[in-house]
Amino acid sequence: MAENAMGMIEKLTTMVDNLVKVTTTEAPIGQTPRQAIWRLNKATLYRYTPVKPAEERHRTPLLLIFALMNKSSILDLRPGNSFVEHMVNKGYDLYLLDWGIPGPEDAHLDLGDYVLEYIPRAIRKMKQVSGSETFNLLGWCIGAMLSTLYASLRGHSEGLRSLILLTAPLDFTDKEQISLARMTDERYFDVDRVLQAFGNMPAGLIDYGAKMLKPVENFVGGYTRLLDNLDNPKVVESWHAMNTWVIDAIPLPGGAYRQFIVDFYRGNKLMNGTLSIRGEKVDLKELKASLLNVIAEDDHITPPCQSARLMEKVGSADKLELRVPGGHIGVMAGSGASKGTWPKVESWIAARSD
Amino acid sequence: MSEKDKGFDVLKLVRDARDGSMDAWAKLTLNLTSSHEYQRLQGFFVKPVLLAIALVRKATDSTMSGVLGNLNMPSRDEVLGISQRLTHIEMALDDLAAGLDQLRRTASPSANRPQRPSGSSGRGSDVAGENRAPISAKEA
Repeated sequence: MAENAMGMIEKLTTMVDNLVKVTTTEAPIGQTPRQAIWRLNKATLYRYTPVKPAEERHRTPLLLIFALMNKSSILDLRPGNSFVEHMVNKGYDLYLLDWGIPGPEDAHLDLGDYVLEYIPRAIRKMKQVSGSETFNLLGWCIGAMLSTLYASLRGHSEGLRSLILLTAPLDFTDKEQISLARMTDERYFDVDRVLQAFGNMPAGLIDYGAKMLKPVENFVGGYTRLLDNLDNPKVVESWHAMNTWVIDAIPLPGGAYRQFIVDFYRGNKLMNGTLSIRGEKVDLKELKASLLNVIAEDDHITPPCQSARLMEKVGSADKLELRVPGGHIGVMAGSGASKGTWPKVESWIAARSD
Repeated sequence: MSEKDKGFDVLKLVRDARDGSMDAWAKLTLNLTSSHEYQRLQGFFVKPVLLAIALVRKATDSTMSGVLGNLNMPSRDEVLGISQRLTHIEMALDDLAAGLDQLRRTASPSANRPQRPSGSSGRGSDVAGENRAPISAKEA
């Protein structure tokens, strides 16, 4: 009886300790050793320290590009659950373009700046450091959109060998399927008034918008899952790392946000073939690199209909659509990603990296 | 021990009831927040707030510009403009450095080896120094 009581008290103490820890501290995320090799304004290009000798590594470097409104540390969440760590261990010369945190002085930055100024320069540096004239590119979420634009405009001439898109929001035809399209409908949402008030799109508003797509799951569900598993260190550690990333959102530069809403969500210009970036028409037929289009089947932020039609629009001869179970983030950072998405993506890239 | 042997579990009952009610709420709120009516209502309430924020911001900017001008100090717009100019200078230097590197490679075949980041090339936008220690996202 006394032993039972002691066990119960110990368990309760652990639970309280865990609760205090996850609600008052930040989990260490983004821990894979890396080195900053290039900077422009707030953007930084990192090279992850290889763990395999040069002769055992893949020859073609791989560049990762994440979204503009969240930190790229989701790609390197925690040891044992990190896509970056996985790829470095598999012998890739891995680079990450981190956008940094935009300030009021960056409110003018638009998609043209990112696609035609930042990405090409970072790639030039990566090619210089790696010594390879060709490279592979992996984009996730808005990073996938930027990568698609880059691949269509510059990829062919700058040595892009293969492009991997994860949950890419590119097609806005079926607006009723896209909750964010309703939220940003011009009848209810005045994008210019928001930017007039804030300059950049505030991180809090982006976070609120994303959470309101599934309010109960996002505002309550996560916490009940934590409370149910407070005595399970694995779940607590995973929850802590994910929560640290989720609450650390960053603002989106006003110029890019406006283009995203007006040209993409409302105009669907990329799919209609009417999108121009700094006067250059974006023609998806010019995207000729090998293409892997990863679609998350349960994605409520970028539903599958937003990525699927890309396959018929691009000029790539070598292309594959990969549908995987999971949501927008879970597909790459969820507990099942290391056995589901990562090996599939890695084996596809491996065949195009030597 | 089988489930039956565990006997009556009050906590499980409470959790099941909670999960059931959360599922019902989730469906209800999802239908609500994804409806056009909800978006219309949200837009109706947000518009005056945004207008007020924009007006306050405009008034603050104008007052601050006046104060800073009287103190013979640069205004907010001027400081932001300097930041943008610096970025353009960074870009020009980056292009210049890349051009020089290309020239160096053309001139000296031995320089055709890949540039390893541990050696600094002295360029403004290059960042030297190995981060062996773990780097947190904050530091990044």
